[in-house]
Amino acid sequence: MKDKSIHWGLPILLVLIALPAVIQDTFFLRVITEAIMWIGLALAFDVLAGYTGYLNFGHGAFFGVGAYTTAILMMQAHWPFALALPMGGVLAGVGALIAGLPTLRLKGAYFAIATWALSRAVQQLALIMDITGGPDGMRLPSFLNPQFFYYLMLAVVAATFALLWYLLECSPFGLKLKAIREDDQGAMALGLNPTKLKMQAFILSAVPTGVLGGVYAYWITFIDPASTLGDLVSDQALVMVVFGGMGTLIGPVIGALLIFAFKTLFWAYLSDFQLLYLIILGAVIALSVVFIPNGLWGTLRGARSQKKTEEKKDEGPAAKLSPSEGE
Amino acid sequence: MAEPILKVNSVTKCFGGLTAVNDVSFDVQPGEIIGLLGPNGAGKTTLFNVISGFYAPTSGTIIFKGQDISGKPPYTLADRGIGRTFQVVKPFAGLTVLENIIIASFLRYPKRKDAERHAWKILENTGLTDRADVSAASLTLAGRKRLEIGKALALEPTFLLLDEVVAGLNPTEADKTVELILELKKQGMTILVVEHIMRVIMNISDRLVVLNFGEKIAEGTAAEVARNPLVIEAYLGEAAA
Ligand SMILES: Nc1ncnc2c1ncn2[C@@H]1O[C@H](COP(=O)(O)OP(=O)(O)OP(=O)(O)O)[C@@H](O)[C@H]1O
Ligand SMILES: [Mg+2]
Repeated sequence: MKDKSIHWGLPILLVLIALPAVIQDTFFLRVITEAIMWIGLALAFDVLAGYTGYLNFGHGAFFGVGAYTTAILMMQAHWPFALALPMGGVLAGVGALIAGLPTLRLKGAYFAIATWALSRAVQQLALIMDITGGPDGMRLPSFLNPQFFYYLMLAVVAATFALLWYLLECSPFGLKLKAIREDDQGAMALGLNPTKLKMQAFILSAVPTGVLGGVYAYWITFIDPASTLGDLVSDQALVMVVFGGMGTLIGPVIGALLIFAFKTLFWAYLSDFQLLYLIILGAVIALSVVFIPNGLWGTLRGARSQKKTEEKKDEGPAAKLSPSEGE
Repeated sequence: MAEPILKVNSVTKCFGGLTAVNDVSFDVQPGEIIGLLGPNGAGKTTLFNVISGFYAPTSGTIIFKGQDISGKPPYTLADRGIGRTFQVVKPFAGLTVLENIIIASFLRYPKRKDAERHAWKILENTGLTDRADVSAASLTLAGRKRLEIGKALALEPTFLLLDEVVAGLNPTEADKTVELILELKKQGMTILVVEHIMRVIMNISDRLVVLNFGEKIAEGTAAEVARNPLVIEAYLGEAAA
């Protein structure tokens, strides 16, 4: 039942740790840093979307909360980055707790709409408040060390991956979330408290997202409501997760890498055709939802087990199954 | 007589203007199998939902092992020892049969390893072992009903509610399920069972409770109930309609 693909984790991590020694080009390092960030955002999005079955269209708000918390603590309260960053995660978690109480009662499209509306409200708040700098945003002290941000991003995302792997794929928590996703009434009859589990998943999704927002703010040194609190983070994470494969941890990684690579190449060579990018992205999503509803990874992995089951069926029930089962 | 394990006290459940269960009372003794009978729409499933915590009663109380459990949520009641199946089965369709049972096993075996070991035992008891790794969605109706029972049993309940677990099965499958129910009774499980098939329910029940339009119209042994004019009228009336 457990996914063997985890064995690739350590070698890949080692390669990534060694990478900056090989890559001297700061632009390239920057691209990879951002790719790693998107892997983290997609993973966190999938906790709720894939494992729990709730599409959070306000996911980006946690990113913005993390970014602004870190920025405000550093700029207004003069906290060191090392303390401000964790607070970004904490506040995103608190935000999830507050936002989850009303929204997690809703299902399907209603949850998506409610979370989207809440994230719009948060963005408006950042636009009108003084402490956030309003529409002008905030500038952070620049710390020009690409390697530092590469390693920090890598550490945050690797830790997120490890934590999610443990909680969702090894401990009972992941299966419990899936039970909620499949049938929350049925899950309740088995002793599971859906409200509590959904809240835990929501917070688990929000905290890493907030931390990534904080890293992003210090890395890019400038944040404003449009860049950190817009729809971009939610939309992009959704696309990556759906394309890669919901409800798995490998799927979002694959989806994030492919979509981000596509985006980067497109913007590098065809930046005059921004509209085309969105059209292609939209088409990719529509097609993948229709033709590979389980995403790339889900389809690849499913193909093998599917084949097994079909072989069994084709051979007829008598061949391998006990006759008493009688299909 | 021993202290009843379950006391249903004047339970009423309304949906808007509709009274689905109307002032129903009866007791269940430990180790008994009570058959709950009644025509379609009589309120059997609604009563199950009230007892298992899915609905709070509009009025009346449910006493389980001496404690008032009315309105307590289903997950608390599962912990107290109430297991139930759903008439409209609720498999976790995207997960394997084994995973379905493991999830139910977490209640008593919080560690993954222990839960899995327990789940294999349940699979064996319910005849689902060779289905362990297929997705629950690919089970036949018989398999899904068996899975419902398996999930309820994985909770190690002291009181089991079975809502039409035999209906829709072919005679061989039906006999196997009846056998399983009788085996559970032998182990001392208390069971409240809804079933339309008379042959089955008469066979396994110690006593019957009959509902019609939400009201209890009869209670007693199979022979007593079969003689009851209200019961005859409810069933013949339905057949004639
Ligand atoms: N959630 C609900 N909302 C509104 N009405 C309901 C609800 N659940 C059940 N009812 C109504 O309550 C009445 C009793 O339904 P219930 O399902 O309890 O009957 P039943 O005895 O289980 O019937 P069957 O033998 O067909 O399963 C029916 O008239 C039904 O339409
Ligand atoms: Mg019913």
